[in-house]
Amino acid sequence: MTPASFWEMTEAQLAETPLDLSASRDAFYSQPEWDVYRLNYRATGGHWLFAWLSVPKAGDGGPYPALLRMPDYASVHDIIYTPLRHRAVVMNAAHRGQRNSDGAYRASYPGLLTDGIGDGEGWALLGAFADALRAVDALLGQTIAEIGPLALWGAGLGGSLALATASRRPRIGAVAADTPLSLGHPAALEPGLGYPLGEIGDYLRAWPGRRADVERTLGLLDPLSDAARVAAPTLLSAGRFDRATCPAPFAEELAATLPNADLRLYDGAAEGGGHIHAQAREAWLSQRLGLG
Amino acid sequence: MATKADLEAFVTSVTCPDDFDQFWGAMLAGLAELPLDATATPDPLRSNAEVNVYQATYRSLDGLEIFGWYSVPAVGDGPFPAVLVLPGYKSEPALRRDWGRKGVAVLSVAVRGKLPSSAVFNPGYPGLLTHGLESRDNYGYKGVISDCSRGVDFLLSRPEIDPERIYASGSSQGGGLTLITAGLRPEIKGGVSGYPFLCCFPESMRMLRSYPYDELSCYRRAHPEREGQMLETLRYFDAVNFAPRIRCPMVVGIALEDEVCPPETSYAVYDRLGGERELWLFPDSGHGNAHDYPKQETAWLEQRIAAPHTLSPQAVSL
Repeated sequence: MTPASFWEMTEAQLAETPLDLSASRDAFYSQPEWDVYRLNYRATGGHWLFAWLSVPKAGDGGPYPALLRMPDYASVHDIIYTPLRHRAVVMNAAHRGQRNSDGAYRASYPGLLTDGIGDGEGWALLGAFADALRAVDALLGQTIAEIGPLALWGAGLGGSLALATASRRPRIGAVAADTPLSLGHPAALEPGLGYPLGEIGDYLRAWPGRRADVERTLGLLDPLSDAARVAAPTLLSAGRFDRATCPAPFAEELAATLPNADLRLYDGAAEGGGHIHAQAREAWLSQRLGLG
Repeated sequence: MATKADLEAFVTSVTCPDDFDQFWGAMLAGLAELPLDATATPDPLRSNAEVNVYQATYRSLDGLEIFGWYSVPAVGDGPFPAVLVLPGYKSEPALRRDWGRKGVAVLSVAVRGKLPSSAVFNPGYPGLLTHGLESRDNYGYKGVISDCSRGVDFLLSRPEIDPERIYASGSSQGGGLTLITAGLRPEIKGGVSGYPFLCCFPESMRMLRSYPYDELSCYRRAHPEREGQMLETLRYFDAVNFAPRIRCPMVVGIALEDEVCPPETSYAVYDRLGGERELWLFPDSGHGNAHDYPKQETAWLEQRIAAPHTLSPQAVSL
């Protein structure tokens, strides 16, 4: 399988899989200023996915600017929390294997990154990328609120999911990718990395003869191979001392490949720019979404 | 950003129940009657030349099996000092191998509600903070705290661990649990609590609109008639009431821009600590992301482990 054939297959499967979306308002977590919904929808491969959706009460049904928050590398994907939820639709979508999306497959941490990595097509992480595209389908397919300008945000794995999704969905108007996971980059194969990239080192230590297979599999989701197709303006962040998620050489190469990237490199590790970047990102997204 | 004056001026409304010690004493006594059934299964995939990693399990409150990552130095026979690492609210328990090369064992606990015990107990995230709030006996955190205390018992059950050198650390919920567990278990000889959660519940839920504390506001809005009972239950689980009972050296790390755990509430806990204490303040940092915190945490614990009775030079005074 090549990256091109993987994405072609994925798009075909998405096209033939009905969304079957259902939404229920969660009265407990809804607030005076916004309503919270639980979304469930069908993904490829027979999986069902879960997402949190918040919709501002002000605005008369929209269209609303929208922020789709891609999931982190963890079993739990947050309920909505961002100051933007007052004025924008915000969706936090889980991928298969995460909590509430784990009926057919439950991911482990550490473990997900190398689950099936020796076997290409069977690599569990491929499903997360298909599910990221599906999240856009669900956000645009729900009928609770009309969606206007749309931005993606993600950190770590979520950063890579956001970039891959933006490269395939021209509807995306802006991307904020914090410390995107450097899948497929030689920096991910260095010994002694922290988790999650350290999982690859664990795997290669156990099965050194599979290195070529692992490199080929990781190449399926290499953010660098898709970067040139991301038309949306992209805010990238990374830490100079990151040895677990997004090593700085990868971030710099990625920024150079993206057509419209603003790389913020901080004197941090895997936390990237931490609080300072969180403020910068919030302002950047607000501006891109027309929220001032 | 919170200022020095903000921290010092803050006053919590939380008071300690008269039967606080009886409540927790009864829980510890009940746990002592329960077989630990500790296991440690080697995990060759996660082990390396410096560290042997095991998948640990043990029994806790209600007989629930709790999982943990247990890493032991591969070099040397021990007995090794140990760090009990307690987890954040929604995050995975950290598999810590970095201590192995320093000759220190680590038990990183996946408290109930996390994988894999979520197959039996699964209030969710959000959900855990309000699970069973109607009663101190049924509150979800009674089990969570039991799981931390039993983590100490797991370490004490291991022949390769030096029972006189057990320490604790964690951030966010893990920071709160570090304080609470140290308050319950004098076997813990020191701890580092970063950005602690579970502090001054009534004020925290008023000061912020971020989760997890916002779960409590949702609960109060949904069940206004239960607010009194909710606050009564929470008094038994508030780290501020455990603080005076902590006799070991303890660090509290506070990010002054913390948007999840109000800095003032963390300071209130620090201010009540019953033993030797240190305060680390991180300006321009938010929840869990102070760049220097991990390095300081490691350095402090290393120093304690090497020379448990010396004072650290890293204290920051207000």
